[in-house]
Amino acid sequence: MKNFAKLAAAAVVASVVAGAAMAESLYTPNLSYRTGPFAATGIPLMNGQKDYMSMLNARDGGVGGVEIAFEECETGYSTEKGVECYEKTKGKAIVTQPWSTGITLQVLPKTNIDMIPILAPGYGFSPMMDGKTFQWAFNAPSGYWDGADMIVQFIESEGSLEGKKVAFLHLDHPFGKEPLPVLEAAAAEKGFELLPIPVGLKEMQNQSAQWLQIRRERPDYVVMWGWGAMNAGAITEAVKTKFDMSKMLGIWWSGHDADLAIVGDKGKGYKSISWSFPDVDAGVMADIKKHVVDAGMTESNETEMSGVFYGRGVVMSMILAEGIKVAQDHFGEANINAEQLRWGLENLNVTEERLAELGMSGMVPPFATSCANHTGHSGGWMLEWDGAKFVKVSDHLTPNTASYSDIAMKSAADYATANAPWPVNEECGG
Amino acid sequence: MLYRTAGQFKTSYNSDQALFPIKQDAFLLGVILLFALVIFPLTASEFTFQTILIPIMIYSLAALGLNILTGFAGQLSLGTAAFMGVGAYACYKMVTLMPWMNPIVAILFSGVFSAGVGVAFGIPSLRIKGFYLAIATLAAQFFLVWLFEKWAWLYNYNASGAIQVPNLKMFGVYIAGPQASSVVQYFVVLFIVSLLTMVCINLTRGNLGRTWKATRDMDIAAELIGINLMKSKLTAFAVSSYIVGVAGALFVFMWRGAAEPNLFDIPLSFRVLFIAIIGGLGSVMGNFLGAILIVGLPVVLNLLPAALGIPISSATVEHLNIMCIGSLIIFFLIVEPHGLAQLWKLIREKLIIWPFPH
Repeated sequence: MKNFAKLAAAAVVASVVAGAAMAESLYTPNLSYRTGPFAATGIPLMNGQKDYMSMLNARDGGVGGVEIAFEECETGYSTEKGVECYEKTKGKAIVTQPWSTGITLQVLPKTNIDMIPILAPGYGFSPMMDGKTFQWAFNAPSGYWDGADMIVQFIESEGSLEGKKVAFLHLDHPFGKEPLPVLEAAAAEKGFELLPIPVGLKEMQNQSAQWLQIRRERPDYVVMWGWGAMNAGAITEAVKTKFDMSKMLGIWWSGHDADLAIVGDKGKGYKSISWSFPDVDAGVMADIKKHVVDAGMTESNETEMSGVFYGRGVVMSMILAEGIKVAQDHFGEANINAEQLRWGLENLNVTEERLAELGMSGMVPPFATSCANHTGHSGGWMLEWDGAKFVKVSDHLTPNTASYSDIAMKSAADYATANAPWPVNEECGG
Repeated sequence: MLYRTAGQFKTSYNSDQALFPIKQDAFLLGVILLFALVIFPLTASEFTFQTILIPIMIYSLAALGLNILTGFAGQLSLGTAAFMGVGAYACYKMVTLMPWMNPIVAILFSGVFSAGVGVAFGIPSLRIKGFYLAIATLAAQFFLVWLFEKWAWLYNYNASGAIQVPNLKMFGVYIAGPQASSVVQYFVVLFIVSLLTMVCINLTRGNLGRTWKATRDMDIAAELIGINLMKSKLTAFAVSSYIVGVAGALFVFMWRGAAEPNLFDIPLSFRVLFIAIIGGLGSVMGNFLGAILIVGLPVVLNLLPAALGIPISSATVEHLNIMCIGSLIIFFLIVEPHGLAQLWKLIREKLIIWPFPH
């Protein structure tokens, strides 16, 4: 037990040293997962995020003249390591990017006390859209419930859903269960039958039982809420059972190029809703190529950089950088703190013109956040696998937030009650 | 020299049977307690509490519970994480159904539920032994985690299927939930872990402990000298599951703050089992040493490159870390197959006779 003292001393020394090294820059740690079971999907996202920030540092000297210290803290997607990283970084950090629903759930209740904004673009807890209750959490530009609603809209555009059967193949995990309330409400309203089919964490690679059920039930559509190994498992299984791929749709995390590349042409027609789109010819990509790739600072490669997930990583970092910029402009100082960044993220207004300036037109729909609306709900596009890459097959879809704002408000209120005392920002309107 | 025992005469049976018959041991414990009670709370940062001190103690307690069963009574179990889960869910249900309940009482009481479940799954141990029993406890592991997922009442029909620790007060101070400060949680954990460790030390030295050890060493011989095997094995399951359940409640309420069912899956069971094995089966102190090695050391190693100013990416550090810990485990087990506790025991014996080897 003597080692206790040594360990503690080492930890204290280390945290002091680590803290001292980070002056005069904005510390925006990212709880990355380049190791562990989800690394294959994590790496392109992490590379996209990191390369965008490296590009800003190289091209503009950071944001507003202050360098961005975009450091990664490796979690391997483990909640335990995530909490370790959060505790390690929270002293200096102006933002937390938790990266997994599990870590988000752990960190969310602490943010009110630690006063650090959580930025979880396109993931996390959907009721976070209620900015009054979740003052410190942001999931712009779209939440899971937006995704569920857009998928329902899209399949409805192919013909009335009345009497149809929709299988909902999802990971049996907080992430996979997230859209259930919205899908159930939609099923009741539009008169289709919803058939939830859970995939346990241990069954991700072998989904024969689930697909047997799908074959027996003959659903008109399969909606998939998968992550990591589950996507590849479901797609190969769907190909094997000769399910019509054009009737299979996934959430944005189920649209990873590498998962479909393994089935190639046979995956043609598979669709995934997405709030981002990779555009290798965009201005921002040219800048990344010039300042980061040619300078040898990237860990990525060309195939990866043309993929959906890399592009999404770039968009995520853009959201953070814009938040910083808005806060800097408003408060008139370059070295903003966590509280000021919170204001910035709450007052984002990324218009079409701004996207053009950033060289990101068409990579993400324009969006804006407000005090009461931390998501933005700007919608996205339906992407389809053409055998070699994802292409846009729909116009810009926008979610009908009115259909589930009641459920969101109720969940947010329940969360606040369960975690009482929980401060609610009454200042925002509507 | 430091450990010279010359001149320490025992004049009564009581002093000979004391927990620390050698003065230096008692002194060492005093130093450790001084650190635990005064120096750490005054100096440790939030990070040290949350990633080193609190988890080491909780994992030690879980390993101690498993050690009672596997190390003392010789019944191999792979269901530790599931029993921790029972404790955590029982505690969650109690504090949400009865918000007036004292949280510490709830935590201590939640062990009773896991003890009950543990005894139920321990019944097969009356017929089967060794690896076969391990498979039977594996069934508990799979069944209980499945139950945590499917029985929505357990997590209050929460849409995400996870449990969240509410803010709990005791004497006007928050001791659990996001509002609680780390120092308070540290003291609660320290109190419960010390209490149960004391209970275990005394249990294993007493009649019950001797019965367990006899059962472990040779059950037929134990039965022949009149030990009731059923009682011996089932009490071991009950005491072990109780401690493991309390550790599970602490795990979620004093540390993690939220838990989803798959947290209590097999990897956690193995982690606790490794702590017990590397620390030393059949020892109490070994659990603490094992937890320091398996839980604490990776955190410190992760900090090292940054502290020394070596620029390597976080992912590489993580890979290096896994390699370092892996090789350390192999190294320690080669040096002393009976675990760190045995290593310490040998060092201590050598110190006592030092500088004369005979």
